[in-house]
Amino acid sequence: MTNPDTNVAPVTGMVDVEAASKWFGDVVAVSEVSFSLDAGVTAMLGPNGAGKSTLLRMVCGLTRTDQGTVRVLGRDPRTDLDVRGRIGIAPQQEAVFEALDAHSFVRLAGVLCGVADPDGAAASALRLVELDPADTRRITSYSKGMRQRVKLAQALVNDPAVLVLDEPLTGLDPRQRGHMIDLFAKLGEQGRCVIVSSHVLDEVERFGSRVLVVAQGRLAASGDFRAIRDLMDDRPHRIRVRTDQPRELAARLVDGAGVLGVRLEPPSAGRPGGVVVDTNDAARFRTEVAVASRDLSATLWEVTPLDDDLESVFRYLVQP
Amino acid sequence: MTAASPAPPMSPNQARPDTITVFLAVYGLLLRSIATRGRLIGIGALAGVSLVTALLVNSTDPYDSSTAALGFVNGNLSTLLPVAVLVFGSAAIGDLVDDGSLVYLWLRPVRPSIHVVAAIAATLTVVTPLVGLPVVLATAMIDSDPDVVSAAVVGGLVALVAYSALFVAAGIRLRRPLPWGLVYILIWEGFVASAGETAGRLAIRGYVRSILSQMTGLELKLANVNLASGIIVPLVVAVAAAFYGSRRLARTDVA
Repeated sequence: MTNPDTNVAPVTGMVDVEAASKWFGDVVAVSEVSFSLDAGVTAMLGPNGAGKSTLLRMVCGLTRTDQGTVRVLGRDPRTDLDVRGRIGIAPQQEAVFEALDAHSFVRLAGVLCGVADPDGAAASALRLVELDPADTRRITSYSKGMRQRVKLAQALVNDPAVLVLDEPLTGLDPRQRGHMIDLFAKLGEQGRCVIVSSHVLDEVERFGSRVLVVAQGRLAASGDFRAIRDLMDDRPHRIRVRTDQPRELAARLVDGAGVLGVRLEPPSAGRPGGVVVDTNDAARFRTEVAVASRDLSATLWEVTPLDDDLESVFRYLVQP
Repeated sequence: MTAASPAPPMSPNQARPDTITVFLAVYGLLLRSIATRGRLIGIGALAGVSLVTALLVNSTDPYDSSTAALGFVNGNLSTLLPVAVLVFGSAAIGDLVDDGSLVYLWLRPVRPSIHVVAAIAATLTVVTPLVGLPVVLATAMIDSDPDVVSAAVVGGLVALVAYSALFVAAGIRLRRPLPWGLVYILIWEGFVASAGETAGRLAIRGYVRSILSQMTGLELKLANVNLASGIIVPLVVAVAAAFYGSRRLARTDVA
């Protein structure tokens, strides 16, 4: 499937999207999105209707790109049959071939992809998602979480280089979610390009730090979300400092360079009081707080950024 | 996030899928998908009505059995058979388009034409024993003349193939293939194409009617093409519909 032909574009990443746009009538679903992904797990985030699913479908070639280009492993997934055998997808919709049992469904995917031992591959894929390959019940009798895992198994059966998972954690219980997150990380470490869209931000944070944030059909940000946070100069960083001398430290810090505001936090639930500082220069603030503590002979127990978690970054990016 | 890297090699456990194996896998899937209990009972009941009608006709005496058999098979191949093919054929891929499960067939290294031919084959597999055979049997009950029976067999096969390809393609192209298909069968073929010779050439029914007339030597209204055209034109239509369906499937937006 990787036989040389003239249709192969120069490869930069495993997935290359260049100025891709898609519209439905007057509605622009995806607007001039560009990114390039390599091996590893990348989380695609965005509110409902942001265009995530459309973008994922474009990556798989399931929908035509009205403008721009999409390349997977250097090929156009819309027209190149061979590259489709290197993509695995777990789509958002629940529908599967309901006349089949899980093993037959996953086996069929293996047969269609030309897997040498579709029976063995189907059994392995089902075990990987903690389903019983010998279960002969039709998929219609499965719970939502089990169906979700069947979808994941069929996406994995052909050992894909690129794995596209649209809301794969929906319907899974917390233990299964943990297992899947570990599995995605392992697949990424093995050299696969894994793209996962999800709304569950605290779990997305566990996939890794690489994100694509989509808002209103545009790519709002891409890369390491902590680096993205550092680049957001228009949003002050909020940092909590816990010390044995909160009032004195607050008084020293309030005139510091780059400090926009200082607020005292009263002690609560056995925890000492703290100082919450808004600053537009987090790196400089960390130096200043160390110097001030030394001058005051204060003990620093904690210096914690309060808004460089994924949820804060996401909120900053998608809210006007 | 961008880093130059070569495309990973193909998985060592993977090869370009064999056409026959893939065809049989898709055929088996579509056969199981379309042969739902509701459809089988509904269409089977209509075929049963056809048999009962043949018994009633057979019990009527005196009558011209050849003319009666020809009228019977013409009526069944014009309405019952295309409706049955519409129900199963339009669902073969159309249902997958509707519920979004088409993605599991589409995103594979398989030519769309294989899916379309498998859908046509699955439709033929269900409708032939469910409706085709009963209609031929019922015709033979009315008149066992070999010319009449062989006309029913040939006309039935040609109609089956042509309608199957047409309605499989309709299931891919149209959002609501059932009502549109019924409009085609009942309004276009039933009224418009029965009104004149030119319009009759744009309906499968006209060609099937010609096959019946030519092979039995009995006259049927608007059966005005020769036997070869009566067989070849619907088969050419079937090939064209299959080709169109394949092209359409390749270009469709998959949910």
